[in-house]
Parts: sequence; structure tokens; C-alpha cells
Amino acid sequence: MSTLVTVLRLPRGPDPNGRGFDPNSTRFVALCPTTISASTETWTDSVEVGEEQRARSALRESFLRTLIAMTNKQVQFHMYERVEVEAKFGASDIDVLNFQVSELQTPIGVQKEALLRAKHRKMLLMTVYDADDPPIELPTDD
Amino acid sequence: MAMRQTPLTCSGHTRPVVDLAFSGITPYGYFLISACKDGKPMLRQGDTGDWIGTFLGHKGAVWGATLNNEATKAATAAADFTAKVWDAVTGDEVLTLAHKHIVKSVNFTQDSSCLLTGGNDKIIRIYDLNKPEAEPQEITGHTSAIKKALWCNNDTQILSAADDKTVRLWDRNSTEVVKQLSFDMSVSSMEYIPDGEVLVITYGKTIAFYNALSLDMIKTVDAPASIHSASLHPDKDFFVAGGDDFKLYKFDYGTKEELESYKGHFGPVHCVRFSPDGELYASGSEDGTLRLWQTAVGKTYGLWKCVLPGEFSCVCAFPNHFQSLEFTTGGLQVVETAQG
Repeated sequence: MSTLVTVLRLPRGPDPNGRGFDPNSTRFVALCPTTISASTETWTDSVEVGEEQRARSALRESFLRTLIAMTNKQVQFHMYERVEVEAKFGASDIDVLNFQVSELQTPIGVQKEALLRAKHRKMLLMTVYDADDPPIELPTDD
Repeated sequence: MAMRQTPLTCSGHTRPVVDLAFSGITPYGYFLISACKDGKPMLRQGDTGDWIGTFLGHKGAVWGATLNNEATKAATAAADFTAKVWDAVTGDEVLTLAHKHIVKSVNFTQDSSCLLTGGNDKIIRIYDLNKPEAEPQEITGHTSAIKKALWCNNDTQILSAADDKTVRLWDRNSTEVVKQLSFDMSVSSMEYIPDGEVLVITYGKTIAFYNALSLDMIKTVDAPASIHSASLHPDKDFFVAGGDDFKLYKFDYGTKEELESYKGHFGPVHCVRFSPDGELYASGSEDGTLRLWQTAVGKTYGLWKCVLPGEFSCVCAFPNHFQSLEFTTGGLQVVETAQG
């Protein structure tokens, strides 16, 4: 007579409510650290977190003000493969994945309205200028 | 007392499981990815089968899935004409690579810098993942849909199997064919073992072993039924195979003797692979499940527990025939049984 091998439990199945990849798992915490240590379950120094939060808020505000200041300004996009296009900057979407522009000057003609994708780009440089001010280079938060 | 194999069933998929792959051994264990016709490939902890996450994004059946050695990246091939690269830690989609037809196979290089794809458009493509916008290198030659394309020989060569009944070895740089094998029927699966340069090919009822560098045949073994997939143990002492009759077969690689056969799946077995440590093998089936099987039946490993003689006092089977109640010195346990 043969005996069945004992199992401690059955394998855990999928969570019907989510796609998984638990951000609190050891592997996730180790391989995807965030600078906001409060978002993990590791011990935190509340003073350190507070200072970090303040710095991040200041940077976010500065970035948003920059985007507002760029509205309707003439902008030059430096993209991959040494492509450079000029357009009038309109707006960015909330995740800074797309930029809405007008009068986009392309090698094959002028596009009245266009959406430029920032996704999958390591870095995107935009030179903002108008007639009276010298150009300044602004790195995007990509 | 002889021990009977208790496979662990991993549920979750709702359609046939057509491909599966293990990662290498990482500091967090090893992992398993499964490709399913439901379009939702899943990542699982390799030694327990515990679900970790589902990669959401494909709009069609997923025909191929793979992990890089570190299990930090995943790649999938689908009927929506795309191959996708994923972050295997967060589950996020990283890249979508558009193709002109169903994609069947994906494979990372050892350093994860390049991805090989192959599918129904008969073209093998090499993508540089550091320059995803660049056009892929293309290798043409196959006259039918490509089933599998794998890096070999330290990523300097490529092995491909297609419905044109050939297996071809290509040089990566010249994109020329180095060697070719022709068969009387389509190859159903292919596995490449870098350590020892062994190629495992299945066709009809045959499991064939070749030298991956020279494509010289080492040996062939015939199974009792049509085989869809086979896998060689890392120590090259056993191999396992599964196919049309729903069973898993275990053979001695040296003597070619059939050692065991296990029932359990409720449909044809489409894919089977040994784990990187050789302690278990996973099978995917038309029945929509993955099952994990012990290489050494009765050994304590993962969710399996070795129970020594004398620890049992009684075993009672439930009327459903799928579970049994075991009274042991350690307490009561409900155990899921293998069928047959």
C-alpha cells in the first residue's frame, strides 16, 4: 500500500480584487525602494521623512510653476536621434506623459495641434525662449 | 512504504496554459511565469506555486512567456501581435513591441539586454532593450510560423523551431543559418540547456536530445503517447514529458527507461519544465491549471512534507476522491490527492 505525500497547504491562488505584486513583499521593498521611506513598512525617522516631504513639495511646486510659465511660449524639444522640433507649449497631462502643443514645426510640415509623448524617453530637454529673454534649458521631471 | 506523488495544483487561469518558464535562482528564491490563452500571464513563487501577480495588458491569448535569470523582467508573446516586456517586481508593463502577426516566443539574453521574438510572420527578431525605439535585427529563412526561438552558445547563436518542420541554428551577427535539422513532422517543443549544451526536442511520440552546438543527435526516446513538451533535469539523470494522454512521464536519461507516469491533469499537457534546482517540475495543461510535481517523491521541499514511517496512524479518503484526512502524531491534515 502506498501513502500519499503530505502537503502543508495548497498553493495560494490569485487575489480576485487586484493584480498582485504586493508592494510590502520583501522582494518589492528590496528591489523597488522609494525615497519616501514612509511608504514602506520599514522603520522610519519621522523628522527625516518630514524634511524629505518638504523638499519634495518644494520641487513639485517649482516644477508646476515652470509648466505654467511655459504656457503659450515658444519651445524647442530635443528628442532622440538628434531630432529637434519647435512648437508653442500648451500643457502637460497630470502624469507628465504627454505634452499638448500647437504649431508644431516638423520636417514634413506644420502640425496645428499635436500631442508629444514623453513616455519611454530617458530625458527630454526643452529650451524655452521668447523674444526678450535669452533661452534657458529646463530638464523635465522624466 | 512507497510514497505516492501529490501534485500541487495552481489554479487561477481560466483557459489552457500553453507555456511556462522558470527564472534562475535569485536571493528571493526562484519564480515561474505561465502563459495562458486567457491573455493574463501570471507570476508565481517557483517552489510553492503561490501566486504573486498577474501581468495585465495583452488583448489576446498569450502564447509564450519568459523571465530573465534574476526574475526582475518578464516577457510575453501574444496573439494581439505584440510582445511585451514587464517589470517582474512591480508587474508594470515596460515595453510593447509591435509585430505584424501573432507572436509565439520570447527569450532574454543572459544579461537581459536583448530580447528574441518569433511568431507567425516567420521572422526572428532581436530587440535591443537599451534602445527600444531602434528597429530590431531581423532573421529570415523559415517558411512557416516560428514556434520557439532561443538564444544559445553564450547568446552568440540562435536556435529556432518552426512549423516548416525544421530546427535551425543561426549565427547572431551574420544572421546566416549555421546548421539545420529536418523532421517528418512539426516539432512540438524545444528546450535548451546551456550547461552541457543540450537541446531537447519533441515531435510525435519522440523526445530527442541533440548537441546544441553541432546539432548532432545524442539519443531519442519514444513515449506511449504524443508528446507536447519535455524537460531534462539539471543533473541530466532524468527527463519528464507530457502530452496528449494527460499524463506526466518520468524517464531515466541514461537508460531511457520509463520510470513513472502520473495522472492528474484533466486535459493534454502543453508544457513541462524542471525548476532550476531540479527539485520539482511544473506542467501546464489544456485544463487551465499548472501542477507542481516532486522529483524525489516524499522529500520535504516547498509545500511537501516528508512524513516518516510510524508517524501515521490512519488515512481516510473523502467520498469526493480528491482529498484524504490523515491522522498523525502531529495532528490532523487534509491532503489533496493525485488521481489514479
